[in-house]
Amino acid sequence: MVPVEYYLLLSSGLFCIGLFGILTRRNALYFLMSVELMLNAANINLVAFSFYWGNLTGQTFALFAIALAAAEVAVGIGIILALYRNFGDVDVMQAATMRW
Amino acid sequence: MIIEALLAFTFAAALLVFAVPNRYAHKLAFGLSLVPIVGSLYMWSAFEAGGNALTGGQIAFETVAPWLEVAGYQLQWYVGVDGISLPLVVLTTFLTALAIMSAWTPIDDRQSQFYGLMLLMEANLIGVFTALDFFLWFVFWEAVLVPMYFLIGVWGGPRRKYAAIKFFVYTNIASLVMFIAFMALVFSLPVDSFGLPEITQSLAAGELTAFYGLPAETLALVVFAAMFVGFAVKVPVVPVHTWLPDAHVEAPTPASVMLAGVLLKMGTYALLRFNFTMLPEQASAFAIPIGIIAVVSVIYGAMLALAQTDLKRIVAYSSVSSMGYVILGLIAFTEFGMGGATFQMVAHGLISGLMFMAVGVIYNATHTRIVDDMSGLADRMPVAVWILVAGAFAYMGLPLMAGFAGEFFIFVGSFGSTALPYAPVFTALAMFGIVIVAGYLLLAMQRTLFGPFRLETDYELTRAPMHDIAPLVALLGAIVLLGVAPSLFFDMILDATVPILELGGGL
Amino acid sequence: MVTAFDYVPAIVLLPFVSFVVALFIGKQLPKKGAYGGIAATAGSLLLSLWVLASVAGGGAHQETYWTWAEGVGSQPFTLEFGALIDPLSALMLVIVTLIATLVHVFSLGYMNDEGERDLPRYYAGLGLFTASMLGFVIADNLLMAFMFFELVGLCSFLLIGFHFREPGPPSAAKKAFLVTRFGDYFLLVGVVAVFATFGTAAFAGAESFPALAEGALDGTVDVWTPGGLDTMTWFTVVGLLVLGGVIGKSAQFPLHTWLPDAMEGPTPVSALIHAATMVAAGVYLVARMYGFYALTPTTLGIIALVGGFTALFAATMGLVKEELKQVLAYSTISQYGYMMLALGSGGYVAAVFHLTTHAFFKALLFLGAGSVIIAMHHNENMWDMGGLKNKMPVTYWTFLAGSLALAGIFPFAGFWSKDEILYEALIHAGSEPLLFAGYAMGLLAVPVTAFYTFRMVFLTFHGNARSEIARNPEPVRWNVKGPLSVLGALAVVTGGINMVPVQKVLGIEGIDYLHLWLDNHWGGIEGLSSHHYAEIDPYSSTYPFGTEVATVLAGAAISLALAVAGLLLAWKLYNVAEPVEHTDKLGGAKTLLYNNYYQDEFQVWLADRTRGVSGGADTFDQGVVDGVVNGVSSVSLFGGDRIKRIQTGVVGNYALLLTVSLTALLVVFALLGGWF
Repeated sequence: MVPVEYYLLLSSGLFCIGLFGILTRRNALYFLMSVELMLNAANINLVAFSFYWGNLTGQTFALFAIALAAAEVAVGIGIILALYRNFGDVDVMQAATMRW
Repeated sequence: MIIEALLAFTFAAALLVFAVPNRYAHKLAFGLSLVPIVGSLYMWSAFEAGGNALTGGQIAFETVAPWLEVAGYQLQWYVGVDGISLPLVVLTTFLTALAIMSAWTPIDDRQSQFYGLMLLMEANLIGVFTALDFFLWFVFWEAVLVPMYFLIGVWGGPRRKYAAIKFFVYTNIASLVMFIAFMALVFSLPVDSFGLPEITQSLAAGELTAFYGLPAETLALVVFAAMFVGFAVKVPVVPVHTWLPDAHVEAPTPASVMLAGVLLKMGTYALLRFNFTMLPEQASAFAIPIGIIAVVSVIYGAMLALAQTDLKRIVAYSSVSSMGYVILGLIAFTEFGMGGATFQMVAHGLISGLMFMAVGVIYNATHTRIVDDMSGLADRMPVAVWILVAGAFAYMGLPLMAGFAGEFFIFVGSFGSTALPYAPVFTALAMFGIVIVAGYLLLAMQRTLFGPFRLETDYELTRAPMHDIAPLVALLGAIVLLGVAPSLFFDMILDATVPILELGGGL
Repeated sequence: MVTAFDYVPAIVLLPFVSFVVALFIGKQLPKKGAYGGIAATAGSLLLSLWVLASVAGGGAHQETYWTWAEGVGSQPFTLEFGALIDPLSALMLVIVTLIATLVHVFSLGYMNDEGERDLPRYYAGLGLFTASMLGFVIADNLLMAFMFFELVGLCSFLLIGFHFREPGPPSAAKKAFLVTRFGDYFLLVGVVAVFATFGTAAFAGAESFPALAEGALDGTVDVWTPGGLDTMTWFTVVGLLVLGGVIGKSAQFPLHTWLPDAMEGPTPVSALIHAATMVAAGVYLVARMYGFYALTPTTLGIIALVGGFTALFAATMGLVKEELKQVLAYSTISQYGYMMLALGSGGYVAAVFHLTTHAFFKALLFLGAGSVIIAMHHNENMWDMGGLKNKMPVTYWTFLAGSLALAGIFPFAGFWSKDEILYEALIHAGSEPLLFAGYAMGLLAVPVTAFYTFRMVFLTFHGNARSEIARNPEPVRWNVKGPLSVLGALAVVTGGINMVPVQKVLGIEGIDYLHLWLDNHWGGIEGLSSHHYAEIDPYSSTYPFGTEVATVLAGAAISLALAVAGLLLAWKLYNVAEPVEHTDKLGGAKTLLYNNYYQDEFQVWLADRTRGVSGGADTFDQGVVDGVVNGVSSVSLFGGDRIKRIQTGVVGNYALLLTVSLTALLVVFALLGGWF
């Protein structure tokens, strides 16, 4: 049986990749993908601990999170489209007109 | 049920006035506001209670009903009046109706909203003076601010936004301080409701326990100080008074009347109800600082009034001065001191209302309030001017007018006070206010009302219309009536204040 | 049975009704309220005479009409309105109503015939003024007295400022009210102190504050004193506090400055203020509570000193004035100084005597001056007059009678009363050195008084006319001559009510009617008699000229000689065809006197300083107190403005911030939690 620490290492690696993407990319599509990576890192954690404790609640939560991620993509893509229409680009740095 | 009927009617009247077209609003609002006067006068005539509502005395027109239960505490609909609150209820209804009439001339925009807000404020004020459950009271207390905020902010002068926000934020922060302190007090008492009588009697029985490591004695002192600060802003006393002149100068006349006449009394009423009734021993412990605050308010407020050139600012600062007398009367912890302070609340409500209205009538005609801009107005608008003169003399404490009664009761009560050390010195110093008040009012009158007529306008200055004069006459009549027969209110006030003395503050 | 005492409230209420009538329907009335006022005051006069007769018939009366407010527990003060009718107040009622009636009649000539505007307001003011003074006179306790005292002040404000369209009168009215208010402040503190000390402010009875004070000094009664102060010291303080109000209203030094300015009011009002109402109120108050003052020697000494000083001080200023009414104003201050001197020297009867005679001759002089002013078309400068003697004989002869009385020439009314005051001061001076100073100043004031009085008479009526108007003065009618004649007669004969020197010298018993009257000979209230006051006052009599008779004669001779000397000097200097201003020879002293010793400048300076301080307070308030409030707001706004810069709108920045913060939090928790 694979020890739970390996799952955690995998998940934190995945999370860091996502975080790196968010902190370095300006393209909204990359953003969306990075967010999905971080979300899935959390899912891995949930499933791993669920397996570790023998409690199904974690897996249920993971399923919910996946469904939620699907919805989020729909909304996210919609926002990106709106962004593109208004700014002619999908660069997140440009969409700063509503600050202070 | 009369209190519920009064509140329900006033709220309904407010909603009705909101709904009608602008051109009918003024007369409708005035007509509707007469009904609460009848109601409050009926309450006054049928009033039979004895003692103080909080200390276990009999409460008139009392109703209790459970409302919500939160964290083991019962919040109630709990209303009733005693000899302290009833005069203030009468004052509120009376002054609101007159203030509404005084708005007929100056308010020419969005009338239905204006009068609706006035009635809404009246309803909340009645609630403040009748509520006996802390939460109910607090709801009304905070709700009063909202109509006043809009009255200043929408119909006010050029700097109305500044004044309205300052008024709202300043008094609201003060309420917050008071609220937190009061909660700390309640949570340290073995009570299961926020009923003010229950809390008072529990405190009087010495049931206060420690709170998060603070011993009960320290807690009581801290709570007293915090509540004093919270209410002092509302009164207001020096040095937390600066919102008042700004609010008064920018507010339209009727709002000024309500602000000076009733809203300031909320502060002193709450001080009397909360600080001086619930925590009398702590009040005595703070006697000297409070006495100093009172004297400084009287003298410093009067000196500031002397320096002003705007008639409204003069009256506004003199309110600070007059409220100082009330604080002095309260801290004296004597029969005449406390009774006189309560009487002075009513008397000052009437007199400052009269002054603001009269200044407003003159402003309607001259469109200026600056002393140096005008002279000799008595020649052109004699009735309004002579009523203003009468009001000014009432403010100076002319005998046989209500102001003298209130001030004299306070002085005679506080001079021999045992609760306030050096009481004769404090009293004599505060009394010097009566000289300064005469100084600035006479000076302002001499320069604006008398002498050769001078005012630069491009129209003919005419006499004030009847509906401007009528409320002035009514107020003057009430002031003289209370000056000649103060016992109309003073007997019931004494009835309700004497039990407070027995709680130990003055002994 | 209906007695006069049942109608005591009516004495006060009648003029009040005339006030209300004149105020509301005066415009519709034929003489704008004058007839109503005359009827009301005449009615009050008749009732007062009836009351006087009833008191003479052995009655005295005390009644409570209205309980104003009442304490129930630890401060059982009863604040009430009531009447105290004893010989003193009955006499004063007659004086006030008589003068008020005559002033109302005179006003017909002075105001109505001269075509003044706003007459209803004038008569309303007169009515209220009279009513307030009468209410003050009948007051049976100090609080009620204070309340009407203040109303008298209000009425003086309204009447002095009657011609409010001109700049002068409103300013004078303000000054009058403010200066007397300053005095009333002390009086109010005194009233409050009396309540705190004795629990009552009643004037008469065993439970009155003078009686309690007497008991407290004997040690039979316990009273509260602040900080356990010695009772005598505390009573002296209270007495001096009440005296503050007296000094303000009776225009004693240093609060006398309002009175000359008050000449801006219509002349009949001046007559009323000076003779019977406002200024008299102060002295009357001391007489009313003399049982209290007599207990404290220090207070008495101070009263005598203030009185004597004021008598001389004001008389010197009267020397150089050019306006008729100004001279009279300073003479009023000076004469009230004499009354204070009398009260301070234990001469209770002498003070009341002078109050009475002065009321008549000063009212006479003011009304006479009013008559001259009508004739001169409201020019009051004496240097424009002259030679009016033959053109207005009634005015001249009555005015002369009044002047002789004022100067203290035998046998006019003023001689007897002033002589008695000086006599009282003289015989009591042995036991109190302050009295001797008062006596000396009072005596010095005698020739000065005679001189300025006759300077005024000669300049006005004698010599050649010095202006066109003076050559053809406007005639006055019956309504002016009538009151003058009544008062003229009174100024001659009033001295007869108190022939003490004659009694002492010739040994005729029973002609010192006023002494007997105030000694409750015919009736009165226990404890309020001159006899009782003489018992409790600290003075004993010594006769510097050997026997009592010799002292009486010598004192009278000295004061009469001085008065005649002053008169003769004025005769020599001013009773010529073309007088010149001899006082110019005084040089700098004249300027000093003419400017009233710069007292007004000093008070104006004080007022300006006060305004300066208030301006400073305003700057402080706006800058510092409100500055702190606005500062809190500015700091919040500024801080918000800076901190909001974090919201760059760039999503990456937010993410970075989140990450860094989370990491920082984790590190902090880790360190605190000891994970490492």
